[in-house]
Amino acid sequence: MALYCIRWSLSLSSLIMSKFLQSAFVISVGVMVAATIATGQTRPVGAPGAGSTVEQAIDLAAKGRCQEALPVLKRSAGHIPDKDLKYRAAMATARCAMSLGQAETAVATLFLLNREFPHDPEVLYITTHYYGELASRASQELAATAPSSYQALELEAEAMESQNRWEDATAEYKKILEQNPNVPGIHFRLGRVALSKSESPANTEEARTEFEEELKLDPANAAAEFSLGEIARRAGQWDEAIPRFTSASKLDPAFAEAFLALGMSLNSAERYSEAVIPLERYAKMLPADPAGHYQLSIAYARTGRKEDATREMAIQRQIVEKTPSGSRP
Amino acid sequence: MAPGFAAFTLNDGAPAFEEVPPSVSGISWAHVSGQSPEMYMPETVGPGCAFFDYDSDGWMDIYLVNSGACDFYQPAAPLRNALYRNNHDGTFTDVTLKAGVAGNAYGMGAAVGDYDRDGLPDLYVTQYPRSILYHNNGDGTFTDVTAKAGVAAPGWATSAVWFDYDNDGLLDLFVCRFVEFDKSKNIYCGYGASNRRWYCKPNVYLPAPCWLFHNNGDGTFTDVSKESGIVKSLAKAWGVVAADINNDGWMDLFVGNDTVPNFLFANRGKGKFEEIGTLAGVGYGSFGLARSGMGVDAGDYDQDGWLDLFVANVDHESFALYRNAKDESFTDATVASGIGSSTRLLSGWGLKFFDYDNDGNLDLLLGNGHPDLMVENRMQDVTYREPMLLFRNLGGSFRNVSPESGLAFSKNFAARGLALGDFDNDGAVDVLVAQNDGAPVLLRNNAGRRSHWLGVKLIGRKANIDGVGAKLSYQSGDLVRHQWKVGGGSYLSSHDPRMVLGLGPRTKIDWLEVKWPNPSGKTERFTELPIDRYITIEEGQGRWR
Repeated sequence: MALYCIRWSLSLSSLIMSKFLQSAFVISVGVMVAATIATGQTRPVGAPGAGSTVEQAIDLAAKGRCQEALPVLKRSAGHIPDKDLKYRAAMATARCAMSLGQAETAVATLFLLNREFPHDPEVLYITTHYYGELASRASQELAATAPSSYQALELEAEAMESQNRWEDATAEYKKILEQNPNVPGIHFRLGRVALSKSESPANTEEARTEFEEELKLDPANAAAEFSLGEIARRAGQWDEAIPRFTSASKLDPAFAEAFLALGMSLNSAERYSEAVIPLERYAKMLPADPAGHYQLSIAYARTGRKEDATREMAIQRQIVEKTPSGSRP
Repeated sequence: MAPGFAAFTLNDGAPAFEEVPPSVSGISWAHVSGQSPEMYMPETVGPGCAFFDYDSDGWMDIYLVNSGACDFYQPAAPLRNALYRNNHDGTFTDVTLKAGVAGNAYGMGAAVGDYDRDGLPDLYVTQYPRSILYHNNGDGTFTDVTAKAGVAAPGWATSAVWFDYDNDGLLDLFVCRFVEFDKSKNIYCGYGASNRRWYCKPNVYLPAPCWLFHNNGDGTFTDVSKESGIVKSLAKAWGVVAADINNDGWMDLFVGNDTVPNFLFANRGKGKFEEIGTLAGVGYGSFGLARSGMGVDAGDYDQDGWLDLFVANVDHESFALYRNAKDESFTDATVASGIGSSTRLLSGWGLKFFDYDNDGNLDLLLGNGHPDLMVENRMQDVTYREPMLLFRNLGGSFRNVSPESGLAFSKNFAARGLALGDFDNDGAVDVLVAQNDGAPVLLRNNAGRRSHWLGVKLIGRKANIDGVGAKLSYQSGDLVRHQWKVGGGSYLSSHDPRMVLGLGPRTKIDWLEVKWPNPSGKTERFTELPIDRYITIEEGQGRWR
């Protein structure tokens, strides 16, 4: 059960970046850009063999002369047949674009690098940092230009949430609702914060109320439906959990976890034949997750499909044996 | 109160359970884990304990297991296990040295069974690196007969259980084994950026097969682990219970494994076991991953005539209650039963189904404590010492009654072994909890004596002498109930062999049926029974005494 919640909260927290962390990113990225430029991988201008314009631009970039280098690098992009040179030119372009605040060029170059050099550690590394810096710049701009906007407050609240400052985050989200009672998503956030606090019936009830409020504002919010389903599932209230998960999976047909939760709840309610379809769907969506195969094997076994059950169980075991054993935190 | 004398039914307002402090009980012994900078895993998982009547005076004595010298641990002062004789007045006297049951290695747990059918309970002590069988001489002393019996079970033995797997009327021995381990195999597990050492998760160690020993009836045993099929399943076993889960007359085994799937060894007769845990739905957690199975038990909590299973896990895994679906499969009833949310952040070890308030329903007691001393540094909401939990059976679902059951449930313990036994013979089954690196906790049950009851000691003749596997059914007015005498259960621990049948406020027991385990298989029916006392029923005698 816990794993499910952990998964869910992880996906939530991945959306949230604390301002504290963002500030750290700004500093580290700045240092990194300067450092990589200063210790550039290219040869100095005028060195033998560095005659091409692109090589010269790369060298200029390495010296921090991005104003001169970037126009050349941008012009030459897409016209470099040599793979190594293309790589170095793109890296220099990205660095200079970030350095000069040309976000559009930087993002386009990161896309190119990830497309042309997939899984390259350096590409992935700079992608992480540059996106982080871009996020930071956007949040700073938001704070500077519209400090009292609900979006700025929401970002602030998300930052607090990511630092486990549950009461502060709650207060911040409530400020938004005072100003804009109909902003979608805020009641959902409040519900998630309530669930993140220490476990208690009061916090669960608070979360339930917030998710229900969210659905009044935004009946298409699959996450709110899912969360209500999860509260019911944890309480063993299958009659409530099942329609909630059903609704979540209809609202967002790509919401894999909703199909798993629906299948698990149907299995728990001993409605095995109904569990088969959502679990089959989940197993197709996330075939590497043993949970889908395990639950599916139960549903098959209880509906007399012994061969299918054995097959799913074998798949589940195969996956489990490939991963570190056990789920102990 | 002596056995055979009626107890008073009280309504004294005392909490359901209260601690009996060492100053009152006289139990001054404490477990020493030998915790070391090298953090050898055995240091954090023991010890076990037992209630048993070693001197056959009708009063439950207490046995406590300690660590001891081995390749990874040389205690500064000698350590020993402890046998406490019951003085019949709520106090105990340490008789270990006279009895000769001090142990001789790094002790883990205890399993009690009369393997030689002489009417005297014998004692098997699991240890690292070799276990001991103590034969009860009947004069207050024991003899180490391990070598002659051939049951040393080399390796790291944990829980053990006596049961008759081949229905020959003799108690055989199953011994859980944890991982392949010795000093040279100890692994450094570091935590976080500091890489500070902590107790490893078991997934870094290799699993090992458990042991099954066949009782030859002449004081010796034969290792049948291979031919029975037990060795095919590599375990990281902590807890075991022997119970007939499919009502086929053969005793099965449910084994709690840590980070590998739990085992359900279905006894197919002719000395063969088939491991069906995964197929039965008790091997893995809901997400298809092995959990950290620790203590286990079996009991028919919903009174449908089929034994259900329970296994404790560690925090964030939730413990598991498996309801028997009557076809060698089980339904996970943890959430529906109300147990899931209460156990989500706890790590469980010793546990037992029992009717603490004698209302006729099987309740559930859980002893908890996290295995990792460092856990508070790395996790919020999880502590090393944890509270025990008591769940009252409301007739198919459970309610957590810990907050109203006494101060003991508001304290945190490093609970490990947990044994049940009515040490004051008042029909209210008491509890002994062994703590890691600390003193045991003795809990007196006040709730059970507020209801009426009948205590039964079984003596098998054709069936195994301890009556392991027997089914007792009874009626008291509108109350019709049955209870199985399972083998073992809990963690590293052994229990009072007597069964207490709760009657609630009813003042008469109409009838009692005893279905003896095979090879007897007989059912005997008794009427005109007393209440609020213990009786003895000997197989084939047609009467009680």
